[in-house]
Parts: sequence; C-alpha cells; structure tokens
Amino acid sequence: MRLKLTVNGETRELEVAPDRRALDLLREDLGLTGVKEGCGAGECGACTILVDGATRLSCLLLAAQLAGREVTTIEGLAPAGQLHPVQQAFIDCGAVQCGFCSPGMILAAVELLRRDPAPSRALIREGLSGNLCRCTGYHMIIDAVEAAARVLRAGAPS
Amino acid sequence: MIPVFTPHSLSDLWAALAQAPGAMVYAGGTDLLVKRRAGLLAPPALIHLERIDELRGVEERGEWLRLGAACTHTELLAEALVQTQVPVLVAALRVLGSPLVRNMGTLGGNLCTASPAGDTLPPLYALNAEVELLTPAESHRMPLRQFITGPGQAALPPGAILGSVWVPKPSGWTVQHFEKVGLRNALACSVVSLAALLQVNGSGVTERAALAWGSVGPTVMVCPEAERCLIGRHLSLPLLREAAAKAQQAVSPIVDGRADAEYRRTVAGNLLLRLSELV
Amino acid sequence: MMEIGLAVPRVDAHAKVTGQERYAIDHYPPNLLWAGARRAGVPHARLLGIDTAAARALPGVVAVLTAAEVPGTNRQGIVHKDQPVLVEDHVRHCGDAVALVLAEDQERLRQALALIRPDLEPLPGVFDVQQALQPDAPQLHERGNCLSHATIAAGDVAAAWADCALVVEEDFQVPWQEHAFLETQNGVAQLAPDGQLTMTVSTQAPFRDRFEIAQALGLDFQRIRVISPYLGGAFGGKDGATVQCLLALAALHAGGRPVKMVWEREESILAGYKRHAARLHYRLGAQADGSLHALECRLYYDTGAYAHLGGEVLELALEHAAGPYRIPHTRMEGWSVYTNHPVGGAMRGFGVVQASFAFERMMDRIAAALGRDPLALRMQNALRRGDRNGAGITQVHSTGLVPGLEALHRHPLWLDRRIWCEQAGPFKRRGCGIAAVFNAMGYGRGLPDAAIAKVELTPAGTFRIYSAVSDMGQGNATAFVQIAGQILCQEAAALEVVQPDTDLALPSGSSSAGRTTYTYGNALIRACRALQEKLLHWAALMLMADAPADLVLLPGRVRHLGTGRDLTLVQIAAMLPEGERFSVGQFVMPVSREVPETGKEFFIGFPHCFFAYAAHLAYVEVDLLTGRVAVCRYLAATDGGQVLNPRTFAQQVQGAIAQGIGYALSEELLVEEGRVLNADFSRYLMPTSLDIPDIEALAITTIEETGPFGSKGIGEVGINGPLPAIAGAIEQALGVRMHQAPFTPPRVLAALEAHTGSRGDAA
Repeated sequence: MRLKLTVNGETRELEVAPDRRALDLLREDLGLTGVKEGCGAGECGACTILVDGATRLSCLLLAAQLAGREVTTIEGLAPAGQLHPVQQAFIDCGAVQCGFCSPGMILAAVELLRRDPAPSRALIREGLSGNLCRCTGYHMIIDAVEAAARVLRAGAPS
Repeated sequence: MIPVFTPHSLSDLWAALAQAPGAMVYAGGTDLLVKRRAGLLAPPALIHLERIDELRGVEERGEWLRLGAACTHTELLAEALVQTQVPVLVAALRVLGSPLVRNMGTLGGNLCTASPAGDTLPPLYALNAEVELLTPAESHRMPLRQFITGPGQAALPPGAILGSVWVPKPSGWTVQHFEKVGLRNALACSVVSLAALLQVNGSGVTERAALAWGSVGPTVMVCPEAERCLIGRHLSLPLLREAAAKAQQAVSPIVDGRADAEYRRTVAGNLLLRLSELV
Repeated sequence: MMEIGLAVPRVDAHAKVTGQERYAIDHYPPNLLWAGARRAGVPHARLLGIDTAAARALPGVVAVLTAAEVPGTNRQGIVHKDQPVLVEDHVRHCGDAVALVLAEDQERLRQALALIRPDLEPLPGVFDVQQALQPDAPQLHERGNCLSHATIAAGDVAAAWADCALVVEEDFQVPWQEHAFLETQNGVAQLAPDGQLTMTVSTQAPFRDRFEIAQALGLDFQRIRVISPYLGGAFGGKDGATVQCLLALAALHAGGRPVKMVWEREESILAGYKRHAARLHYRLGAQADGSLHALECRLYYDTGAYAHLGGEVLELALEHAAGPYRIPHTRMEGWSVYTNHPVGGAMRGFGVVQASFAFERMMDRIAAALGRDPLALRMQNALRRGDRNGAGITQVHSTGLVPGLEALHRHPLWLDRRIWCEQAGPFKRRGCGIAAVFNAMGYGRGLPDAAIAKVELTPAGTFRIYSAVSDMGQGNATAFVQIAGQILCQEAAALEVVQPDTDLALPSGSSSAGRTTYTYGNALIRACRALQEKLLHWAALMLMADAPADLVLLPGRVRHLGTGRDLTLVQIAAMLPEGERFSVGQFVMPVSREVPETGKEFFIGFPHCFFAYAAHLAYVEVDLLTGRVAVCRYLAATDGGQVLNPRTFAQQVQGAIAQGIGYALSEELLVEEGRVLNADFSRYLMPTSLDIPDIEALAITTIEETGPFGSKGIGEVGINGPLPAIAGAIEQALGVRMHQAPFTPPRVLAALEAHTGSRGDAA
C-alpha cells in the first residue's frame, strides 16, 4: 500500500506491506532504531511510540493503521540538539543503565506528565507499569520523572 | 503479506467484510495480533475498527449507559460518566494490562476474546450488561452472560461485530468493589478476581447483592447462593465466611499453569472477606 | 570535571535517551541476509536425518546448513567445549540447533524454518538431577552426566557435631532464572573477500568469542574481528557464544553479504543460558553462645544440556556455601549435573544466589532456636579481615561486612521496624527480614584475570580510551572516563571511550565476575600514568625545561609551573610520532597465595580473594486472603571499597536487588519433561515498576588497597540478599518458612495452610 504519514514532524510517503509492523517500518524502513523491540507481544513497552500524541505499542500496530497519523519516536521528542526535560532528568538522575528501555520509558513518562503534572511516586509507578526495565530497579527512573515534573511545572516547554 | 482494511464507517466495514469474507476484525490488536504472531491464527485479511466513530463514545440513553465497543480502556477511564456511574468497571480497567495496553485495547475486544480472565467481564456480569451485535441488516441485543459461551468463546456470528455494550444505569448500589489477583502488580493475567455490588440500607442491612468472579471457571462465575446468603443480613466476617464457602463450592477453574485449582477455590472465597472492610 | 568520587552522569546516557546509541541489534547493513536456527523442539533424541529440501526450494532462501556443513570441531563452549553449533546426532535439549537457514528476509526465513523436517528418534529424558546421577540413567555426554563433583572442607566436621549445642537441618529449592535482558541475543557478520570475518554482536566477551568461533569453525582467530557495542543488558547471558558461531557459519555461506541474526524473545528463552535450578541440603550447628561451629551441605545444581560455565558456577557456590561467617568445621559438597533441560550458565550472582538463600535462612533458624536477635548473631559470626572463611581461606583484603551490619543496626528502618509491623491493616501481616551476603570478584586462581588498557592522545588534543571490556549497562565506560579524567586532569568533553573492538583494543577478558572496573581500571591507571609521564617528558623537551617534574597536565594543556608557560595538547600531539600518542598499561588481578588442601577438583576459580559484602533489610507485607507478598521498603549497605561514582554504585545495587526480588516473588522458568511452559514475557514474570519498592543503597567505604582508587566490584552481591531477606520477613509475618522460591501467592497460601491448618483469612 501507499502509506502517507508524518514521522517526527516530516511527512513521509512509502510503499509498504499493509500488515508490516509499525515497529519494523520505523526501525528498518525509516532507520529510526531508537524504537526498540524487547518482546514483540506488548509485554515490555520497549517499542513505545506516540501516535497523534498518545503512547502506543508499535509491535502491535500495523502499517495500515498509521495512515494519516502523526508518529513521534524518541528521536523526534525534542528538536535537534535539545532535550526534553524528561530526557534531561533521566541523564541527571541516573535513570539510564543499559538504556534499552529508555526510549519507551521516556515517552511513557512524557504522556504520564501531560496527564498528571504532579504525580506521586505511586502514580508514577503506575504510569510506567507497562515499561519493563531489567537494569535499574526503577528507583532512579521514578526520581527522574519527579524531577522532570518539577521542571515542567516551573514552566519549561514540553 | 495480507490486506488490511481501514473502514471509516460501518458501511465501509460491511463492504470490507463482503470483499474479504474470511477477514478477521480487530480494534486494539492486543489479543489478536499477539495470537497471530504466535501462529495461533492466520487470517487471510484483517480489518481494523479504530476509525469507525459509530463504535466509540460513551453516553446516557435513558436508563442505560452505552459504551462504544471500540472505546479503548484509557478512553473509558477518562469518561466522567464511567467514573461516576460504574466505579466497579473503573477499578477493573485500572488494573487491566498496563497503561500502554489500555491505550490500545478496547472493551469490545476484551469481551470478544472472552478469556475467563478478562478483567472487564466480572464487573459487566455483575452490572447485568448487554451487548449489541451489528450486522449489515440489523442490530440486536443480548445479555453479556449469554454472549460469552465458554472459555475464549463468544456468540458472535460470522459477519457480525460487537457494536456497543449497554449497562443498566446502576442505582442504589452503595458498594462497587473489584479486586484482581495477579502474580505481579501489572501486566498480569488475573488468577482470581471478584466484582461485587452491594446495596446496603441505612440500618446496615444488605438489600441486594451481585457477585461475579473471574478466572475461576470456564467463564465468569456467578453464585446466587452466595448472594442470597448476604441478603437481609448485616455484613460481618462470619457471614462473609458463609458466603465464601458457597462460592468455593461453585468454583471450577480451567487449568492454565498460573495457579492451581485449590488456590483459586480458596481465594475466590477469601476475596469476599475483603468486603468486611468496606462497611 | 571527570573526577573520581563524583556522581558524574553516565557518558553514554545522552545518546541513549535520544535513541542515537546503536546497539548491535540496531545495525542493518545494506544488502543483508537473515539467518535463523531451527531448534530441535524435543528434549532428548537421536537426530537420524534432516529433510531440508522444501526449505531449500523456497524462493528467497539462500542456504540451509546442517552439521555436515560445519568445518572445524563443531563444538563451542567456554571451558568445556561440549555444545555443537549444529547437532550431529544427539539432541540434548529442546533448544538444540539442528539447522541454520539464510534467507532474503525475515518472513521467508520463518517459512523456511517451518519447512525443515528433522527426523528425531525420541530417547528417554533425564529431567532430575538425582535421576541423572544414577548409574543406569541415560548418559548425556561421554564423561557421563556429572559435569563436576567437588568438595570444599575445613576442620573436622564429623567430630564437630558433638560440640554443637544446637543443630538445624533444612532443604531448599530454587528454579531456573532467566536473564531477560531487553535486547535479545543478536549480531551481524560479514566475510570479506580477503577472508577477514567481522562481527558486531551483543557480547560480554569479544576477545574470547574469536577463539570460540575459530575453534568451532576451523578458522584462524586472528582473522576474526569482533565489535561489541553497548549491550541492552546481559547479566551473564551473553558470556560465551550465543549467536556467534551460528552467525559466523552463516557468513561463510553468504557470498560475502552481511548476515543478521536476532533471537526473538521466545527463542531467547528456549535457547539462551539460565541461572541453574538447584536443590540444597543444609545442616548447621552452633554453640550455645551463638558461634557457628559446624556446617555440612550438599548442593545439586542442574546444569542442563551443556556445560557452559556449570563447573565454575559450582565452584563459586561451594566457596560461598558457608556464608560470610567463621565456621571452623565445614564439609560442602556439590554436583553440577547434566540433564535434558535448558542450559544452566552464567548469571549474575553465579551459583551464589542459590547458596545465599540457604545459608542465610539457616542463620535465622539458629537465631530463632537460641532466642538471639538475627542481626546480632550475624554480627557475632561475621568475617573480619584476618579470619579464615568457611573454606579455610584467610581474608587478606577489604572485608566490610561488620560495618555494613552496623550501618543497618543504626538505620531508622531497622530501629522502626516493629512499629511498622504493628501497623499492618486488616488481612495483612508485616515482617522484616535481613541478610548478610557476599560475592567474590574476579576469576580466582588458575585463570589470569588480566587486562590491557590503551589510551591515545588524539591529534585534536583529546584522549581516547580503548575499552576492551563490554559495557552491558553497568557503566564501566563512565568509570574509565572518570579514572582517565582524574589522572590526566581533563574535562568530560576531552575524554572519549570507545567500546570494544578486537582490532583496536587489547585482550582484557570478559565483562563478568564484577571484574571490569577493577581489572581494566587498574590497567587504565597504569596506561594513563604512562601517557601522562610521556606527555610531560615531551612537553619538557618542547619547552626546553630541564625537569619534567616541574610540568603538570591540565585541561587541554601542559603547564610549566615555574614559568607559567603552557603548551596545548594539540601542539604536543602534532609533535609526537603516531606511536608515541598511545600508551598501554597491563594489570593482572592478584590471586590468593594460599594453597588449600581442599577443593582440588577445581582447576580454576578456587580460591578467590576479593569479596564484596552487603547487609540487607526487607520490609514485607503479606496479604492473608491471597498470599500476595509485597516488598514495601528495601535497604542495602554494601562494601565495594571506595566508591568511584556514588550514582553508578547505587544503580548497580538497586538493579541487582530488583532482579533478586523478581527471583523471590515471581520469576521461575516452568519446565515439564524438558519443555519450557512459559517461554514468553506474558508468563515469565519479571517485576514491573509496581513490584519493586524504593531501594536505599548505602555505601560502606572500606579501602581495597589493590583496587583502582581503593575500589572493588559490586555488580553481583546485591542479587544474593532478597531471597533470604524476604523469606525471613515472611517468616516473621506469618510464622511460615518458605523453602522454595519464588514465594508466589499460591505457595505462600499453601504454606500458611500447612502451618495453621487453615488457608488464608484472618482470625
């Protein structure tokens, strides 16, 4: 099928099998390897992307479903050379070890903070409960989201 | 490579089904696409429902709430009508899957998958919900309890889709309670769950009770004996133990490797005891 | 500034949070072919033949290979090379590879794999360690079913029982644990026309991989280049060939095209290495005053179909089996046994996790029987520098367990524990449990734990460190930049670390055993000091200064302190011949100088002489109605010597504890008749963010004088605490002793019923 969509702010048009996974389209056809595959079955969240601003599991989305949508991957979260406050907080608070879960985790955190700008640690844990991390034990990830929430509340652009 | 249709309306959908009679229909894909990847299904074509507005939305229609079958769980959680009218369903949605799964998974999908462990099922059974099935020619409603016929089996004829879920507007329930037991706190298939609706009057006497359990039978389990046991009496731990014993007799879980039958039987009863904290 | 002791952010964090960092799995060279393995799918069988005709005939399939096409020995392995790359005639576990397919795309690869028909004659399976040890059991290898049988003993345990006021005996059982790294096993490889094989692979041992590939396939190891990018987790599961030999074989048949192999999650669980499932029998005796006196234990480790590091895991298990305590009379015997199960191999806490569950629960038994406070009992018996441990080895180096236990003792979480427990709500019970744990660092004796560091002054006046030890998320790259920054006095922007590439870096062993920061770090210190000395010497020449001691290296420059004259590093680099811009430093980890009369069966490993120590405390709440266990708070005081980076230190402790909590609450590979029942993430349950509490990590800063700036490795020790600490807390909460991990809700409720005669609910 001829697929037209916006990816990280750029309109793209490509010839693709309609049942190709969005994950493969993004990683292999568009070179956006920031989107990761951890399980292929929606159980780990590593493949998280934003579609029209809402998080989705790209391993369970087919290319046809992306027609006309705005897709944002981790690469497009912030303008080139800049970092979203959540990304900066991940760096500053030690939330990144192997980093494989980080893109998905960050996008999930961005959505969480848009919905709830002042979440408790318990609410942060709930908001990130679909993103598995095997390295950190989550503690510093929660710290990072708390820190980013403060920055955003103080008026940083999101 | 298989074709994937993207209908924007119900008439688009009927046209697509006519064009590809063996096509399978999905909304969120969190069950169907997982099964397809595991080789458990191989449909010749797919039709996704997420752009059909007629299948979405939540509204009051007289004495009923209509929930569009293609509403995602996240959408339902955000609806004021759902929050205020059916907190028992809210409690189930909050622990279904994960935030990411809830963004994609739909109410209709949860019902059509008809897993004995489906989280929305016990609340909807307790609420006496109905499903509305649509075909090109007509629509008709039936009780959810009739719609689910066995583990993973729903009475959805070929060519029909689940269009809406109708919930009688709950009135008089003073307690809407749901508890799910999983082997971890998110992304967990329920091993036992309980939805409980109670109407307790000003003197503390239970006038009505609706109880429904998940994951302890081939489909959702209801236990009128346990309900009757509570009616006309004050909720107390000894009373709840009586009701629990009746529920434990009714349990007949399928084997799925997550928990043994003995555990499910015990906990199905134990979850009733939690109600003692609510009154 | 990049200095030791500061919580500098990870140098790789920026690239990772922007999605720019390319892991091995993110490489898609143009014109690539996909490779995949057909797995046997049965636990024990004779492979009589294999029909590949239909697969070969499929358009888009470039090759289908079987054992007949494997040159070389067709054997891979780290110590014992007993694992075929492609099965010849004996299938030993469901994940055994019987054929390899190369295809143009993943879809056709899958189709081709499904068309391969192995002709398998099922053989009776060996699914139990005791059964495997019977003389009449089916023999899985030429050496029989016992990979390793060894004993470590001290004193005279047979006579010692008579002197014990109290003897307790118990059995424990733990399952296989899955590493579950998010980036599965994968790599890309290409054979150049000149015969050079280049492989980019998610690996913990790029240098050793060359040997494994070369021996398996009959190649020259010097013609194999392995590049090891940052890994998306490993925890031991990528130590030793996973995809490497299969991928290299594929590259040999790819007509010069690059080949990519990625194990999907299900294949990763079926075919990847595991933590050994184990049964442990313990008998522990103490004197009336609480001093431990005699220990006898038998450890049965299920090493599955192939050895991997099963013998070495047993060595560490036995070496740690007596706990971090003085026990004068011990007899610790163990077996590492082949079965038709998934392969037991290296996983963080390497044999020690299993033993820690046992010895710490035995400590609680002794404490309870003597009416002693469990923390005080541990403090009394804890090893101090100069003591002999249960294996009879003198503790010569930093031994910070006692300060760790003291830190716990002073901590508000310990002081407030009873009040917290009393506040349990309806149908809840609360308890607190502790654990004193330790974990050796390094390879131990018999195998040189060595590294060679290489540092370069680039023409741009910056410094480039050629790491040779994979960074799998533990953050050694950052440690190396801090070490270099400290010695060379440079800022972050002037320091770069290159991930291992066997063409550019120098052999430095595997990323394992908690060794990389210590061993490579020490080598790096030497390399940096040598480079510093060299640069000052050259600068002195350039400045016509008569004493290099008057010069100092500063950010971007060298200054002659007497005159205040500076030379930039760019200027100096321009003057140096290329070879002079590089410095190399070598280091070998010291080994124990004791020659024990015991443990002679172990030709490598025993004894180790450096250990990390930790004291853990878990706050646990159990729900009586469902048996659900929640870990509400967790505290760990860990001795890692001096701390190079407090944040990285805490990261490692928290991450290890989280994996231990998973093993305690929900992680187990369910295997029946050799078949894995839960080979995906919906059924193999790792902790989510809602399952792990805040984890407070305290550093106990002893000084490990042999370590880089006084530090030692702590990557593993944290994972050893949660099983016993949580079990101890459950016992305090419910009066129930859990002997089998994980402590799932069904197991907890069943234990409660057995204990009280009724299941669940509250009085």
